[in-house]
Amino acid sequence: MKLKFSLVTRRTFLNTLFFGWLAAFFSGTVYALMRFAFPTLGKEPDFVVLNWKDFVDIPPNSVKPFPWGGTVGLYYKKDDGSMIALKGVCTHMECNVAYKPAERRFYCACHQGWFDADGRNISGPPPKPLESFAITKEGEKLIIARKGVKVELPKA
Amino acid sequence: MLTRHIQNHLKRLLNRTRLAAVAALLFWTTPLGAAAAEKIAVFPEVPYDGYIVYESLIVFWAAIIGLIVIIRMKLREIERTQALGADRQDKDAPLLE
Amino acid sequence: MNCPRLRDWLEERYDLDGIKGIARGKFVPEHRHDIWYYTGGITLFLFLLQFLTGMLMAFYYVPHVDFAYKSIIEIVTKLRMGWFFKSLHHWGAQMAILFLFVHLFGTLLMKSYRKPRELVWVTGFILLGISIFFGLSGYLLLWDERAFAAVRVATGGAGAFPVVGGFIKAFLRGSIDVTGETLLRFYAFHVAILPLVTLALIGLHLLFVQFHGMSVPPSLEKEKLREVPFFPNVFYKDLMIWLVVLGVVVTLAVLFPPEIGVKADPLAPPPENIKPEWYFLFLLQTLKLFPGSILGMNGETIAILTVSGAILFFFLIPFLDRKSGRGERSPLFTWIGIFYLIYFLVMTAVGFLS
Repeated sequence: MKLKFSLVTRRTFLNTLFFGWLAAFFSGTVYALMRFAFPTLGKEPDFVVLNWKDFVDIPPNSVKPFPWGGTVGLYYKKDDGSMIALKGVCTHMECNVAYKPAERRFYCACHQGWFDADGRNISGPPPKPLESFAITKEGEKLIIARKGVKVELPKA
Repeated sequence: MLTRHIQNHLKRLLNRTRLAAVAALLFWTTPLGAAAAEKIAVFPEVPYDGYIVYESLIVFWAAIIGLIVIIRMKLREIERTQALGADRQDKDAPLLE
Repeated sequence: MNCPRLRDWLEERYDLDGIKGIARGKFVPEHRHDIWYYTGGITLFLFLLQFLTGMLMAFYYVPHVDFAYKSIIEIVTKLRMGWFFKSLHHWGAQMAILFLFVHLFGTLLMKSYRKPRELVWVTGFILLGISIFFGLSGYLLLWDERAFAAVRVATGGAGAFPVVGGFIKAFLRGSIDVTGETLLRFYAFHVAILPLVTLALIGLHLLFVQFHGMSVPPSLEKEKLREVPFFPNVFYKDLMIWLVVLGVVVTLAVLFPPEIGVKADPLAPPPENIKPEWYFLFLLQTLKLFPGSILGMNGETIAILTVSGAILFFFLIPFLDRKSGRGERSPLFTWIGIFYLIYFLVMTAVGFLS
């Protein structure tokens, strides 16, 4: 059925068409720009593969850092020789933590947070313990994985 | 006699320093040769990706032409109203609330 | 747009009607040569495009002699659409400089430089020099053998200036030869110094144009011409033309992405038959015309001085062309302008073909 009068003015029609098309055009452009500017939004790895030799002989009560994606992990050999792997990043504001061998605790210098030898937060602002990883030895390789992750090594 | 002659020549040709020099030469020049021969792809190599790029170009042109058409419509409209003298706003016109 | 509350909010604080009045007051004369009016806007648009794509490149480019070449390969191979934005930056540069020359020769031949618009010419001329330097500095950032050789020649040529040559050469190079120091300071020029100077000069250039209005060619000056309001009529036309230009640049970028050359090696000889970017060809060809020594004096110095003299003359045309300043016909300077244009075109073509 034909209307006697138009529902919108010419101006509204043209402006809507223009700005709508422009919006579509720009969103396409912006999308391309975003994909360029945000290359790989860093995902942490599920596991890392290291050389067993490099870590097995560190002295007791010491820590050896290893790369965990873009951050740091700490391979920690306690006094009794047992070994754990912790993420070396403070759970408060993500500063790197340091190991204090004399106190046998981990210290975060940013806001004076302390973690015990198992990574539990004991003093200061950190709200959670340091993330701990599972350690497995596979031949000559040391595999440090996130807890619960099934490690599948690529067939080299 | 002749074999001894040849043996001496071979010995000289293949003596250790010479071999080491040749080996070093080959070792150091091969990667350079390989890098020069390797062409860096400045356009997506996989044909599927290449087609997507061309298709995007067509869509892009469609968008540009659409925008130009709309702008021309707006231009025609403003020229029409200007010809009528209807494009000026009366500053003291009362607003309909 | 119809947002009455936003309008009221702004109107309580700013003189919107005043701004609108100024905008509505801008008129553009209509005549058979008015198509040339669009060349300046196109150049501006292309430079803005360069700013944008340049900013994108700056996210990932590393201006260090050991990493520059690699970072470009990373951009082109590893990033999503990296190859496209680099190609767009390359083709945008080519088109920007092309339209810059079109705009330059257009204003020259139509004598837009004449009184009262001398300062528009002056600011425009400085912008020309800056744009050429933009091109040279940007090109070095590729750190391929061609760019390296081109900058060596260009800075070496600058060194041939009497008295100040050595100083200019040392300043540009940052060292005795083209090195990582050169790369770093060319990067500083390209990314920080030149953009700011360009913005300031474009601001002045546009301000003067707004103040004086659009120049009308001398032959049509006496006629009563119809005037079209800039907002929105000519603005819409500008937009349409800019969209076409954008389409052309994007198409060139997609269909002809530039190849990545061989990495620069300071110890290697320059590659065979090396040529600079096309907008330098006419200069190079001119230099080639001069013999090694003239009357016992260094040929290169004479060449540089002659070329500089010609460029200086070009710069001073508004002040030398008295007749145009008085509103009279000035065929001498028309011919001089045509001569410059033909010389530029012929020398560029010769440089290209040889």
